[in-house]
Amino acid sequence: MRINCPHCGARDAQEFTYLGAADPQRPDGLAATEAAMTDYVYMRDNPAGPHRELWYHGAGCHSWLIVTRDTRTHAIALVEPAKTRKAGAAA
Amino acid sequence: MAETATSWDPRGAWAGIAQPGSFGAKGEAGVFAIMLEGFGLASVIAEPDTTAALSQTVEALLGLTLPPTPRIARGPAHDIVWAGPDQWLLRTASRNGFTGLLSELSAHAAVSEQSDARAALRLSGPRARDVLAKGVMLDLHPTAFAIGDVALTNVAYVGAHLWRLDDAADGPVFEILLPRSMAGSFWSWFVASAREFGCRVASGRG
Repeated sequence: MRINCPHCGARDAQEFTYLGAADPQRPDGLAATEAAMTDYVYMRDNPAGPHRELWYHGAGCHSWLIVTRDTRTHAIALVEPAKTRKAGAAA
Repeated sequence: MAETATSWDPRGAWAGIAQPGSFGAKGEAGVFAIMLEGFGLASVIAEPDTTAALSQTVEALLGLTLPPTPRIARGPAHDIVWAGPDQWLLRTASRNGFTGLLSELSAHAAVSEQSDARAALRLSGPRARDVLAKGVMLDLHPTAFAIGDVALTNVAYVGAHLWRLDDAADGPVFEILLPRSMAGSFWSWFVASAREFGCRVASGRG
């Protein structure tokens, strides 16, 4: 599998580290209920199909990326820098 | 307490690891390796909103443009190498006046002196590309990796900063920077990989 890093170009997957689903947002610290934290920490969708996930380009530009990958075929539809989302809005 | 004889002489990154000479196949060397010493190096990291100001300062001081993509910008005494988004390495042939230059840049960026943190090698010769192909996962064919292109990648599990300079008469020229503490690991890979082509090793100013 190759990931097309927006900064470095197409690179082998072994240059990257996988973190997990990109979309869960951490609830607000001490104010969150136990149920909300449990949901955030443990509950994942495990889709068969497109999945937005975080990858870290540790052997290259050290950027966090959001990769949209089809979990059935490993086909990658989109790779975007994670920091643009953070700078954008509260998703 | 007994006096202990201590040497505080500066030690190059390749000291005790590699020495000038030849190894591998006899006859004309296919690969030339120059262990670069004495250069100044600093990482320069801008905030996204200070990149423009940093760019102007660099242009005024050095006459170089910060490369926004993985490229190297070369000047008579300074090189600027892309090192990630909004990150660069500044390299000088000589460390004279380097500290002053870095403090001027530090108004617009996080600047950190790295001169002794990396081991640097310049590889050339007709088989230089064949040696690198054994450890670099990138396509280094001239059409894919042009003169002035830069890559951050791994070589034999060692993080490496690699770029291509102007061709020499006998083939392509690459420079590679490695974490100094990994120079020994890299060198053992390099010796094993270059042996079949024959390699001549020399020291040089970088």
